[in-house]
Amino acid sequence: MSMSSSIHNQFLLFRDLLDDYHDRRERLIKASRDITNISKKTIFLLHRLALEAQDASARVDASKIGLKKLTEVQELYADMRDELAGDQYWRYERQVSPGLQEYIEALSFAHFLEHGGLITYEQVQATLCGADGIAFFPLTISDYLLGVSDLTGELMRFAISGFGRPGGRTRALETCIFVRNCKSDFERFTPYVWELHKKQVVTAQSLSKIEDAAYTAVVRTSEFDLPAEMLDDIVNQTVLIYSTNRRNLEREVDDQEHSNDSYR
Amino acid sequence: MDSQTLANLHQLLDQESDLREKIRDQVNDFDKKTRILVGILSKIHSTRSESIPSLIQTARPVLYSCSETIVELASLIPPNQFWRWKDMWCNSLRTAVFAAALFEYLTNGILISLESTSNVLGMQDRWKDRVNLSAEDYLHGLITMVNELSRLAVNAVILGDFEQPLKISAFVKDIFSGFSMLNLKNDTLRRRFDSLKYDVKKIEEVVYDVSLRKLVSKDSSFQAVKPTSNES
Repeated sequence: MSMSSSIHNQFLLFRDLLDDYHDRRERLIKASRDITNISKKTIFLLHRLALEAQDASARVDASKIGLKKLTEVQELYADMRDELAGDQYWRYERQVSPGLQEYIEALSFAHFLEHGGLITYEQVQATLCGADGIAFFPLTISDYLLGVSDLTGELMRFAISGFGRPGGRTRALETCIFVRNCKSDFERFTPYVWELHKKQVVTAQSLSKIEDAAYTAVVRTSEFDLPAEMLDDIVNQTVLIYSTNRRNLEREVDDQEHSNDSYR
Repeated sequence: MDSQTLANLHQLLDQESDLREKIRDQVNDFDKKTRILVGILSKIHSTRSESIPSLIQTARPVLYSCSETIVELASLIPPNQFWRWKDMWCNSLRTAVFAAALFEYLTNGILISLESTSNVLGMQDRWKDRVNLSAEDYLHGLITMVNELSRLAVNAVILGDFEQPLKISAFVKDIFSGFSMLNLKNDTLRRRFDSLKYDVKKIEEVVYDVSLRKLVSKDSSFQAVKPTSNES
């Protein structure tokens, strides 16, 4: 028995609508994955550069390189603009959100390295605008908060891995204060953004790791009545002597092996 | 964050949660109405076909009253934010679609279109970026109706109405072939579509029983296969 034609036509229309929805959803998921990927790479890049950076101006340079990498993400968002126009953004919010939060994390890390402070909601939204100044889509406060909340984990890594470097102890102390402020500022938003509660738990863990490091810094510095830079110098000297000795030792071992070879 | 920034963000979040509260109030109201509808409609299983029109007459004002809630919702939702909030009322809306579709079938024997359903529910084109009837919600409503019709096929026989199952069978087969045309992904619509085949099977068994026992006269079965087509 054939289907009545009006039902047939209606369902043809539904098929187009659903296909369009699913296809668009797939495209946005893919773009969002790419964005997550680039953002994660940028974070690693920033860590590597920040570790090498000895002073504030070198960190500004590191931040610049990271921000340049993030323009790739901004281009992807510019391409998604039409798909997310009008009321469509809200339909695909769940697909867009994870990549967006990762991007905000990377962006806020670069911002921190340059300015030592927290990027604002308006500053994030400003990076997601076309040349015409019109936003690609409305940035939700929840994505902003969840994105910058992840920054605390990166800062913990930044503080701990840079701890042994010159100036690392002072930076750990500064970072400690910054992360502590983040934690206390975000607390009041947890009733509104439910995932933020979990992020606060992670922030608390990161904070206590930085606090332990900062504690060590203070205790050790107080034992020697010398400025921090001099302590760094003493440590550096020791490291240098050790590594020179080791290199010499390796060379001797090498030479020995070579001479052994020649006897065979 | 300085205290001004904190206060600004806090205020924006407060506004959002106020809005959510207001929408929730309307959705509760919507939910009450659709539950009344479902309550009345559950009586079709114990109502003889000649009394069905009067049963529908008592339910129709309740269905129309849903449009008042929908107007309220449209006035609350900010422009372009339909998809942001729609999940809050989609269950009520799907129930309303179910009621509208069942009314149409029981009154005229045809499938209500998405457009007619929108009209019955008082949806207006000028606020379609705030509230509208999406294809998905409409399709969910239809599936609920088919679930209900498979029960009606059984219960009509209990009441001695042997023609209803044949009418239902033809009607449901059309809807089922319609759904078969869609490329469904693994979502709730897909899972609910999977339930349709059991309904079709159940209805087929009833048709089989009444046909084999010659409980339906030849003329009426002819009528049943070709439902009153005042669709053009």
